[in-house]
Amino acid sequence: MMREWWAKVRGAVLGRGDLADLRDEIESHFELAREANEARGMSPEQARREAAREIGNKTLLKENAREAWKFPRWESFWQDLRCAVRGFRKSPGFTAAVLLTLALGIGVNTAIFSVVYAVLLRPLPYPASERLVWLGESAGKAIDIAITWLNFEHWRAENHSFEEMAGFHTEDFTLTGRGDAVLTHAGVVTSAFFELTGARPLFGRLFARADEKSGAADIVVLGYDFWNRRLGGDPGVVGTTLDLNGTGYQVVGVLAPSPKFFERPFDFCLPLGPREDRLNRGHHRSMHVLGRLRPGVTLAGARTDLDQIMRRLDLGDPSTEKGHRSYAEYLMETRTGEIRPTLVMLMGAVLLVLVLACANVSNLLLARSTERVRELAIRSAIGAGRARLARQLFTETLLLTFGGGAAGVGLAAVCLRLLQHVAPPDIPRLSEVSLDVPVLAFACVASLISGLIAGMTPVRSANKLDLTTALKEGSAASGRMRHALGNLLVAGEVAATVVLAFAAGLLVRSLAIAQTTYPGFEPSHVLALELQLPPGSYKTDNAVETFYKSLNERLRREPGVEAVGSVNCPPSAGDCSDWWYSVAGRAVRSREDVPLTLQNVADADYFRTMRIPIKAGRDFSSADQAGTLRVTIVNETLARKWWRSPVEAIGRLIKLGGPFNEGPLLQIIGVAGDVSQMGLDTMPEPEIYSPFSLNPSRAMVVMIRTAVDPGSLAHAVRRDLASVDHNIPIQSLKPFSKWLAAPLAKRRFTTFLLGVFATLAFALAGIGIYGVLNYWVKARQREIAVRMALGAQNSRLVAWAGSHMGRLVAAGIVAGLAASWAASRWLSSLVFQVSPRSPSMLLLALAAVVFTASLAAAVPFWRAIHTDVVGNLHDF
Amino acid sequence: MSTVDHLRESPLEFLQGTLEVLILRSLQIAPNHAYGISQFIRQQSEDDFVVDNGSLYPALQRLLQREWITGEWKLSPNGRRARYYKLTALGRKQLVKSQSEWRRFVQAMSRILEPQR
Repeated sequence: MMREWWAKVRGAVLGRGDLADLRDEIESHFELAREANEARGMSPEQARREAAREIGNKTLLKENAREAWKFPRWESFWQDLRCAVRGFRKSPGFTAAVLLTLALGIGVNTAIFSVVYAVLLRPLPYPASERLVWLGESAGKAIDIAITWLNFEHWRAENHSFEEMAGFHTEDFTLTGRGDAVLTHAGVVTSAFFELTGARPLFGRLFARADEKSGAADIVVLGYDFWNRRLGGDPGVVGTTLDLNGTGYQVVGVLAPSPKFFERPFDFCLPLGPREDRLNRGHHRSMHVLGRLRPGVTLAGARTDLDQIMRRLDLGDPSTEKGHRSYAEYLMETRTGEIRPTLVMLMGAVLLVLVLACANVSNLLLARSTERVRELAIRSAIGAGRARLARQLFTETLLLTFGGGAAGVGLAAVCLRLLQHVAPPDIPRLSEVSLDVPVLAFACVASLISGLIAGMTPVRSANKLDLTTALKEGSAASGRMRHALGNLLVAGEVAATVVLAFAAGLLVRSLAIAQTTYPGFEPSHVLALELQLPPGSYKTDNAVETFYKSLNERLRREPGVEAVGSVNCPPSAGDCSDWWYSVAGRAVRSREDVPLTLQNVADADYFRTMRIPIKAGRDFSSADQAGTLRVTIVNETLARKWWRSPVEAIGRLIKLGGPFNEGPLLQIIGVAGDVSQMGLDTMPEPEIYSPFSLNPSRAMVVMIRTAVDPGSLAHAVRRDLASVDHNIPIQSLKPFSKWLAAPLAKRRFTTFLLGVFATLAFALAGIGIYGVLNYWVKARQREIAVRMALGAQNSRLVAWAGSHMGRLVAAGIVAGLAASWAASRWLSSLVFQVSPRSPSMLLLALAAVVFTASLAAAVPFWRAIHTDVVGNLHDF
Repeated sequence: MSTVDHLRESPLEFLQGTLEVLILRSLQIAPNHAYGISQFIRQQSEDDFVVDNGSLYPALQRLLQREWITGEWKLSPNGRRARYYKLTALGRKQLVKSQSEWRRFVQAMSRILEPQR
């Protein structure tokens, strides 16, 4: 009844006016009854007695009336809460232990969950993002290849699966005419890109289909930040011109702030169309396509649809591109696929930590409820129902868990700050992590479930309470029950710790191997200068070659410089380019079997500068000029893949592009040692180097080997660059060791986190084992005293208690081993050069757990052999 | 009908919500105090309903909360101060509603307990 409830609330807030004169009312009631009785002819004494009988207990009556204004359920809950708080105040040690344990468990879970939520679960910030698909081409072993313009046009026009499709790639341009020359970053996109990514114009217009046509005007749409920062937020910018790589682009619009799409946000967008030479079906730039599926269309369905178009194109155009098919994955997968196994593993680890925390809290509650058996029995004896008692115990536990949960959320906030500080920058969306509603909901649910789990055991044991024994004997009564539960908890804790220790051990070992792996060259004392020459001012190969030649010569003359060499794709930079190849004389049966190799460009001084050994043949030389046959150096992995030793590879021929694609024939003149191209924690892949003199590339990293601290030469390097051409922006200039460290940062981060969680697990398990054993010894004080009085040696006592502990730990270890075995499946993608089922790592984890258990058992054992024999025997 | 005779010997127990209707009904005639209300119910039911004060007072508080009655201190005919309760317009409406509900309830009960004689 709404009105009644409202009146109660109003009464509770404003005071219950109607209750104020209740006492007067009852008094007057009594008088009225007495008078009526007298009027009926009773004697005054009889009338008074009769009226008093009719009225009953006046205080109770008042209480009854007052009751009508209360919320009975709420107030009994409130009463339980107050009672719980009083109880906790009386045992601050217990309360602090429980709160701290829960805060740790819930805190790390909330922190990691907030990362999992922001990175893996939260929808991408684009309209209908769950239907956005990343598209590429695939052919044989190669997947997610760039899409040609021609194929894109056919897909866009002929598919039945997508609402909309947009092509895009990124390109760097040198901006001139507005202050110093700067390197800018462009998104080159087709018209639908803006709609698909939810970008809207602030001023002017965006692109239309007409802007993609061959011969359309050069136009540009500015990104909000670029417009605001670089152009000062000039509202009259539309209609002006931007000089990019020496060409004028007319500004037609400015974008409103919108969620970023590319890993590096663009400064502006240019229209993508079939310009230059894009009309050839075999011409791959780096274009990929974003598509939005029609509702109800599956990814597989969309691929079948696109593949049909590709097959039809194969029939009409028997070019070298025959056999290409589509590649598609959900954009969410593209964005988060790489980090998912890591986060899932970390989430699993913190859940184990929470389980450990719950087990310990359960243990603490159990110990407390054992001490409170008498109190509960008395309550029960004076009429508290079992349900009422259970509700009170649950209220206490929930109060504890939510207190712990609140502290945990505070801890999580601190952890997140730390995480964002120490995390490597390439974890997508990590900066968006915050403690928002879903994360807080998670913390609430985690607290609630922890409370239910931890609170269940004490409540269950309270329900089994045997009144008579409990009242008579006090705390000894429910010992057996508690023992069984405590033992189970200890075994479970040991199991969880084994799993965490094993996983952490594997990752630490992987990291150690990765960090001490010889990268294939000498990384210290190298300064790396990354450059990208603007194509506007360096149009010919000759100009590019001349530039790098004169820069390198200048650098070589600097004091402290030992050698200078350049490479297009330095070690640890990853896969800058790969392509099919075949070896002359080795037949390849089908397109699917054509192998891939990494491609790189190096100058004649590169291997010497980096101290990469030439295992066979010779280095590049300045004599490698245009001739009839092009020369190449392959890495050792490629050479050993086809020949028994590097020497045998010398003089052999390699066909780039493989048998099914056009490509030059290369002669192997040397075999270089492997370098960690994809990062220190990866296995080497086949790689071929082309000489810079034959394939001048605008993008090169100039390696400067120094005799002094590489950082000290930075100024001289800048000066030399400016003296060759002052209009070249520097992409990066840093000691090469920093390049090498970057790909390992994520592994180091993951390993660090898992290490922290494993340490937490050890601490929690140690505390748990200590608690249970301590109780075990305490409950057996008399038995121990008797044994000692009968002449038991200390060693016998320890062996006796130790066998008890041993059984528990052994049971936990067996369960932990089984769980580790099962968990290794998830770890396989995260380990490097260690088997995910490494027996030595398992042994190490076991040893660590056994050591922790022994450490935790030491104090209870010591207590056991120092039992006060006389005192205990007197108590009989 | 020995059962009925047996029931007459001890007062009937109130069904859920009965007491509220009886209070409203007793106030329909004139404002009254708690003692008067309990006397009225007892007399009108010929001692079948004996109102326990432990139920009467909370019931009065509930009716006050629902704004079906209001209370006011007045002098009784023989000069004693007493808290008189009075029906509000809302209470009057509720009484009419409750009366028809009870009539239906009673009819339904008797149709089942005493089928067509």
